[in-house]
Amino acid sequence: MSVNFLLAIAILFGLSAIGAPIALAMIAAAIAYLAVAGQDMALAAEQILQGLYTSFILLAVPLFIVAANIMNAGTISDRLLNFCVAAVGRFRGGLGHVNVVASLIFSGMSGSAIADAAGIGKIIIQMMTRNGRYTLGFAAAITAASATIGPIIPPSIPMVMYALVSDTSVGYLFLAGIVPGLMMGGVLMVMVTVIAHRRDFVVDDPTPLRELPGLTLRAFPALLMPVILLAGIYGGATTPTEAAAIAAAYAFVLAAVFYRALTFSGTYRILSDSARSAAAVGLVIGGALIFNYIVASENIPDMVARQLRAVDLSPIVFLLMVNLLLLALGCVLDAATILLVIVPLFLPACRELGIDLVHFGVVVVVNTMIGLITPPYGILLFVINATTGAPLRAMIAEIWPFLGALLLALLAMTLLPDIVLWLPRLLGYQG
Amino acid sequence: MGAWLTWLRNRADNVAVALLTATFLLFILQIVSRYIIRQPVGWTLEACLLCWLWLVFWNSAFTLKDGDHVRFTILYDAVRPSIRRLFGALAALALIAAFVVSLPATADFVSFMAIERTSLLKIRFDHVFAIYLVFAAAMILRYGWRLVTILRGRDADAAP
Repeated sequence: MSVNFLLAIAILFGLSAIGAPIALAMIAAAIAYLAVAGQDMALAAEQILQGLYTSFILLAVPLFIVAANIMNAGTISDRLLNFCVAAVGRFRGGLGHVNVVASLIFSGMSGSAIADAAGIGKIIIQMMTRNGRYTLGFAAAITAASATIGPIIPPSIPMVMYALVSDTSVGYLFLAGIVPGLMMGGVLMVMVTVIAHRRDFVVDDPTPLRELPGLTLRAFPALLMPVILLAGIYGGATTPTEAAAIAAAYAFVLAAVFYRALTFSGTYRILSDSARSAAAVGLVIGGALIFNYIVASENIPDMVARQLRAVDLSPIVFLLMVNLLLLALGCVLDAATILLVIVPLFLPACRELGIDLVHFGVVVVVNTMIGLITPPYGILLFVINATTGAPLRAMIAEIWPFLGALLLALLAMTLLPDIVLWLPRLLGYQG
Repeated sequence: MGAWLTWLRNRADNVAVALLTATFLLFILQIVSRYIIRQPVGWTLEACLLCWLWLVFWNSAFTLKDGDHVRFTILYDAVRPSIRRLFGALAALALIAAFVVSLPATADFVSFMAIERTSLLKIRFDHVFAIYLVFAAAMILRYGWRLVTILRGRDADAAP
């Protein structure tokens, strides 16, 4: 590791710490490295431009963002919620379960936890706190916890990012996320049941079962979306990027034509918001591309692998240590930065230890999603705080049991690769 | 001054929406041509990638505010306003310096790319990549403005 590289790291951390946009901090650090090393400073621009221009799978990012934003703006979210209330609202702590199930279904259409929390999460928090049935803190906490499932069940923007840095197949990564995502939903529902009994939450009047078919029918086109997406990808008909475009188009047709919930100005606002989010994500990816170029030219990932070989780690211990490290980083860094900059450092070590890269990918994505709700820096907590006014302190007080449940699920996925790899292998993954 | 800045930003936003809409529609066109008409047209993919590249840098240059960026703000939000101004000034200085010193080499690289064209649409790569120069110049101007705002004793977040 050269002095130049340490300088670049110092600049990156220094600028990020004082509040500069992380993407720009990465570009500035890279330029400083190139300048001091006497290399061509144009390399920074070249790497970013060529990287963004040639990474076809990145096109999925803006398309998934558009699809999620259209879902949120149309009445699609409301219809799904009504369906969930009818299906699982009859149990004790019913709306807590509704919250989890709605997130599970919604995550089959959106690739972003933030879209999940800001859209469907906001509506359900209002439902839960109406008449004071649930405290705002509890409602917000379960919403944040269940939103982490969004990018685990496909489609998923973080998995696209991981595929980009690790050269694994997005299709298999998506497939590998399904069981872990359902498992996360399962442990959260167990936790809701436990808390509901302990605190003796009210049981809501159940929706009569005879209304269920009608509500299912009303939500049906929306429920069909994950099916279309997955069938498209795994039937081999479409690439994940094309599936993202189809998802966005389907959401648009649903919201505009069937549900008539989109106006011209509404559509414009959706596109404008999506364009800004997509650009912010794109710039971080661009910054990570140049930074990773430097990290690779300094041979850092190989060095990490060599060090690990020297201490003779077993794959399990390695995975547990990476998990602990990423969880610690997740308390202060955002998921994109971890996935794009930190995770690539460990990929050669994974290959050497014989750890499956699809398994590793799902574990690190789940890990970074849990990082979104770990205090003090949890983007999901901030988003919910911003959209619903739920105080951070109340949310953090209620988040611990859910955090614990999710960590247990993560541990299980880490120790038992079959949870992750069973479905992809069933559908032809050789690994 | 605020009014025309808002007007400009809204026009920049129009362009951003147009780029995103184009990406989306081109992709749909590609899918239709490939799966429904079964006569794939290759240029749509290239056009999508061009739109995406421009979308990222156009927005980064003109429509993204600091709050839209991925940032680490625990420290920034916790400190006194005077320290925050110091942070803002330091960050602005460093970013201006980085973009200014790399600008000549970057401009050389972009103009050098004139020798290549995109494979299907035959657009010259210096035109495609010029958006990065626009972005770099916009960053220098924006953070320069920010620095001046801070030095005049106003809150950093008041600058555009």
